[in-house]
Amino acid sequence: MALLEVQDLHTRFRTDDGIVQAVSGVSFELDRGQTLGVVGESGSGKSVTFLSVMGLHDKRQAEMTGSVRFDNQEILGLSTNQLRHIRGKRIGMIFQDPMTSLNPVKKIGWQLEEAVLIHNDVPRSEARRRAIEVLEEVEIPKAETRVDDYAHQFSGGMRQRVMIAMALINQPEILIADEPTTALDVTTQAQILRLMEKLQEDHGMAIVMITHDLGVVAELADDVVVMYGGRIVESSKVDDLFVKPEMPYTWGLLGSLPRVDVDVERLEQIPGQPPSLLRPPRGCAFNPRCAYTFDRCREELPELRPAEGKNDHYFRCHLDEGDRARIWAEKQAAMAPAGAESAA
Amino acid sequence: MSELLAVENLEKYFPVTRGLIFQKEIAQVKAVDGVNFTLNAGETLGVVGESGCGKSTMARCIARLLEPTGGKIIFNGQDITHLGRKEMRPIRRDMMMVFQDPYASLNARKRVGAIIAEPLEVHQIGSDADRKRRVQELLEIVGLSPEHYNRFPHEFSGGQRQRIGIARALSINPKLIICDEPVSALDVSVQAQILNLLKDLQRDFDLTYIFIAHDLNVVRHVSDRVMVMYLGKPVETGSRTELYAAPKHPYSGALLSAVPIADPKLGRARKQIVLVGDVPSPINPPAACRFHPRCPRFVDGVCNVDEPVLTPVPGSTDHEFACHFPLERWPMGDDELRHEGAFSREAAPAAAVD
Repeated sequence: MALLEVQDLHTRFRTDDGIVQAVSGVSFELDRGQTLGVVGESGSGKSVTFLSVMGLHDKRQAEMTGSVRFDNQEILGLSTNQLRHIRGKRIGMIFQDPMTSLNPVKKIGWQLEEAVLIHNDVPRSEARRRAIEVLEEVEIPKAETRVDDYAHQFSGGMRQRVMIAMALINQPEILIADEPTTALDVTTQAQILRLMEKLQEDHGMAIVMITHDLGVVAELADDVVVMYGGRIVESSKVDDLFVKPEMPYTWGLLGSLPRVDVDVERLEQIPGQPPSLLRPPRGCAFNPRCAYTFDRCREELPELRPAEGKNDHYFRCHLDEGDRARIWAEKQAAMAPAGAESAA
Repeated sequence: MSELLAVENLEKYFPVTRGLIFQKEIAQVKAVDGVNFTLNAGETLGVVGESGCGKSTMARCIARLLEPTGGKIIFNGQDITHLGRKEMRPIRRDMMMVFQDPYASLNARKRVGAIIAEPLEVHQIGSDADRKRRVQELLEIVGLSPEHYNRFPHEFSGGQRQRIGIARALSINPKLIICDEPVSALDVSVQAQILNLLKDLQRDFDLTYIFIAHDLNVVRHVSDRVMVMYLGKPVETGSRTELYAAPKHPYSGALLSAVPIADPKLGRARKQIVLVGDVPSPINPPAACRFHPRCPRFVDGVCNVDEPVLTPVPGSTDHEFACHFPLERWPMGDDELRHEGAFSREAAPAAAVD
């Protein structure tokens, strides 16, 4: 039994312009100790999916159906009161922008202690001890004095460490990280990724890494889910996804990434914009931007189906196996390894 | 190729003051401290470094948005370091900037047409009708549609706004465009669109770029030459191919190894230098080599005593570095990392087989 099981999750928002279908039939599982990378552009539904899992949408606007089972208990549709025992205690969350997620007028220590006191019946002194301990664990130097500092006294990377500390303070079983390194320098990003890896080793928690950067996913994830237009369009083990991605959107994401290890004259670009979730295109949501669209793509939504000979790699695309293998082989041939041009 | 821009020993110090009325200068922030480079027409210089390393300040000094404290800026054969506002005006026609945040750099209350036409108006180029025609042409060049002329910035996505910013920079046919982190705020797929657009425009309009970014992948893709900066000083400069194939300065090595590689097997197998801590304060920068407190190859008694100067790599024409103990090989060997902070991720068995 997986720790988190999401089955056929749909999330709709009522807006003045009509119904926005933000998530359409997303299913996945997450085990203890596993790292799941969730990739997609802005508006692909990746954040909304996990806000739905956590029950963080305004119930007056959002309508959710499907099933979210956490540790064998259905949590979709639980009241805020019931969710309170899970959120922040058994499932922790880190957001992209550490400056807006921290309270600027309260000391870091106070905010960390609060997270402890809400969920545990302990005195404040004990909460403070926990706060210092967890700051040390995320490698903040001089934790016992920094605990009395305010958010603005920390650098961007340090603030993100504080956010991680806050998410970890109650030793959650799942850590959901929504673009935790997007706002950071590469060097700081490397620090944070290594830190998350180490914390996972120490605590054995599951991590969900939401990002638009396939590089980050390649570094950290065990499994990957690619989302587009509110649907999962490909899911696979991380190694397999980079060796043989099965559908055009994933090809596009890989091709649009400038890489230190590969030389290309021109980046592949996915033309146009992500689809409107208010008026999604007919058929495959990717068809207006796809270079391989044919009639069937405009009419019929492709089912999530397994890749040939694999039971852990699924994708949505009408192209048949032969075409996909040929196109991917061509694309790979176009990527010369770095340094080839200097040798030539 | 002719030299378009030469920067000699550029310095920008900001005073740190105390007191409200009699502001006493108590210290200086040496944001840019001795930068030298030349840039040929049609070339792209990539400038890389962490936040706070002075790369944006340098760009603003070159564009004369900030008054340099010392040094010389020679643009198109003319010393522009201390020109007044009026004298700068004709020069500004040849120098434009594209900014990082496409949300903050466009006036929310102006229509797109007016935003792009503004440089034309400032420099009094063409009649109203000419300008409108030019703006519509520009919209098409940057991949938008002429119908977007009357829309407001909020109607556009981040990538489209960046295109508007680029159209504005192009409007008066500049020679040099300074791009300050133009793609950092964008999604990977949109980033690719903008990078391709910048490359196409360079080819079509013979543009020269200074391209500032913290992402080495991006810089490598667009640049001919790269300058790595740390705390206001260049620590390594070189042609793109040489610098990425054989970085000499440990800081360049650290930046390069910190970049996520979109290949799980390669990523696990490689050695990574993870720098400890943040960039130190430029108010009181570390003595001698400014990188020494974070350096994986630090040697006591040398690096903290004697400041290294930029020295050329033997046998190379334009690859220079400032380090006493440069990296000998790339990728690094285990023996090259003397100190904590640098470590290699364990090679997974799968990677060892390949």
